Amino acid sequence: MKDILKITVVLLIICIIAGGVLAFVYKKTAPKIAENKKLEEENARKEVLPKAEYFESVSDNGKIFYYKGFNENQNLVGFAFQCEKEGYSSTIQTMVGIDTLFQITGIKIVSQQETPGLGAKVSKLEFTEQFKSKNPEKILADKDGGKIESITGATISTRTITNSIREKFKNIKEKLSPEQGVK
Amino acid sequence: MEFSKLFAIIIGTIFINNFVIVRFLGLCPYVGVSKKLDSALGMGMAVIFVMTMASTITWLIYNFLLHPDTSIFGVDLTFLRTITFILSIAVLVQFVEMVIQKTAPALYKALGIYLPLITTNCAVLGVSILNINEQYNFLESLVNGISAGIGFTLVLLLMAGIRQRLEFANVPKSLKGMPIAFLVAGCMALAFLGFSGLKI
Amino acid sequence: MKAFGELTKGIIKENPVFVMALGLCPLLATSTSVNNAIGMGAAATFVLLCSNIIISLIKNFIPDKIRIPCYILVIASFVTIVDMVMNAYSPDMHKNLGIFIPLIVVNCIILGRAEAFAGKHSVGKSILDAIGMGIGFTLAIIIIAVIREILGNGTILEIPILPTSYKPMIVAILPPGAFFTIGLLMGLINMLRNKKQKPGV
Repeated sequence: MKDILKITVVLLIICIIAGGVLAFVYKKTAPKIAENKKLEEENARKEVLPKAEYFESVSDNGKIFYYKGFNENQNLVGFAFQCEKEGYSSTIQTMVGIDTLFQITGIKIVSQQETPGLGAKVSKLEFTEQFKSKNPEKILADKDGGKIESITGATISTRTITNSIREKFKNIKEKLSPEQGVK
Repeated sequence: MEFSKLFAIIIGTIFINNFVIVRFLGLCPYVGVSKKLDSALGMGMAVIFVMTMASTITWLIYNFLLHPDTSIFGVDLTFLRTITFILSIAVLVQFVEMVIQKTAPALYKALGIYLPLITTNCAVLGVSILNINEQYNFLESLVNGISAGIGFTLVLLLMAGIRQRLEFANVPKSLKGMPIAFLVAGCMALAFLGFSGLKI
Repeated sequence: MKAFGELTKGIIKENPVFVMALGLCPLLATSTSVNNAIGMGAAATFVLLCSNIIISLIKNFIPDKIRIPCYILVIASFVTIVDMVMNAYSPDMHKNLGIFIPLIVVNCIILGRAEAFAGKHSVGKSILDAIGMGIGFTLAIIIIAVIREILGNGTILEIPILPTSYKPMIVAILPPGAFFTIGLLMGLINMLRNKKQKPGV
């Protein structure tokens, strides 16, 4: 009986100490983690739409649909949106920036876990650069008769990204149009 | 819709992202307990059992005790995830061991020696954490747990079958034991690569 | 001299990976690039060191019956700390290592050292043991990562070292490459050991 009491007390003490220490570290690191995440998203948006100084989110049914980008004079300079689609071995998430004439200003692969050395190369600049100043409605991978050059051995990843951008843009195009008058 | 997602989880977890040879989880028992077919089968069954239980229990713990939006406390305790998961798995394994010993001595004889090893099998903790990361619901977590166990057992059995034959093969002296087991695993991983990119 | 022995045994004679075949999962999963390997090695060494210190300090207060749960509690706490700190200060590394950070908890090297060494020896010795084992593990994971990154990508730490005419052997960074690398390395070590023993026998 005494034995059980001792075991319980020891375990309880260790648990309380462990819980306390973890809560302390969590309190210290949580704001930093949240900040990192926010910063990462913000940087991605700035990267694809460099002209914009700050962004405003536009929501649809409680979900963020796209962002409006403004320059320092509070003029609308373009939009940023995130699209995602199932690639070869993972879901590829892409951040896309377009200007007010609906030309792509840049894209950035936010997350992907495609095959290292093949599909994973979509994150590289050589690939993403070619999307610049193209019409998001008309982009097609070269294997589908378009002009986006596929990465050797990664046709599916290339097609996924191209299609996901085109489809998402079609979705939001109607909502973007009225905004243009505002600028 | 619901069923097709479950089906995708089953095929995905058993073949495309096989726990052992694609995700590298549970390698220790994979090379340690794959020398004989019957012990591999025993280990596999024990793992399926524990993984299924662990998936459901850790899902309940995470969603009803830790997650701020759904828990009964309403506080964010998600930083205790790792510690609560590993403890509940350890308790679970111990508990299962005691229950089986009392109620089914024959089963205990078959699985008994493998059960204590399972606490430190990273595939069990791995499946619990993956369920949370993938934001699976209760049913999906349960199915994922069973599939992960089946995937583990599948490659463990394949490996044991190959290694039993290797006993009689003329393997270079330096490669005997572990090294050849890894080379065989490499060949198996090559074969499993064929599953990746499978569209369901 | 004896203290020095506690330190070096983990690096060569009792190398946790090549000799004892422990901690294989993170070893193979995170050795796709040297960068990740260093991160994983450092994280595991830190947890090993901290838990060895704490466990050797409290070993006399813990009843024998519940020593394993207590060890796991201590280890899991440090793993969670590493997880949170890494997420806050090195988010990219945290993303790359992913699920293998919480899984340090079940890395058999750490529980193994707690049970086999820290639970029986003084703090000083436990520290040396942890550092030695930690270096042994880190070294092993870096060796494998170097081989895989050179073969699979032609780079070390993302710096190209092979001529551009070299076509990367992508399979080396895929799962099969990990198995082949460690299998062949272990075979090589066995071969060297066999040769060394022969003259004596």
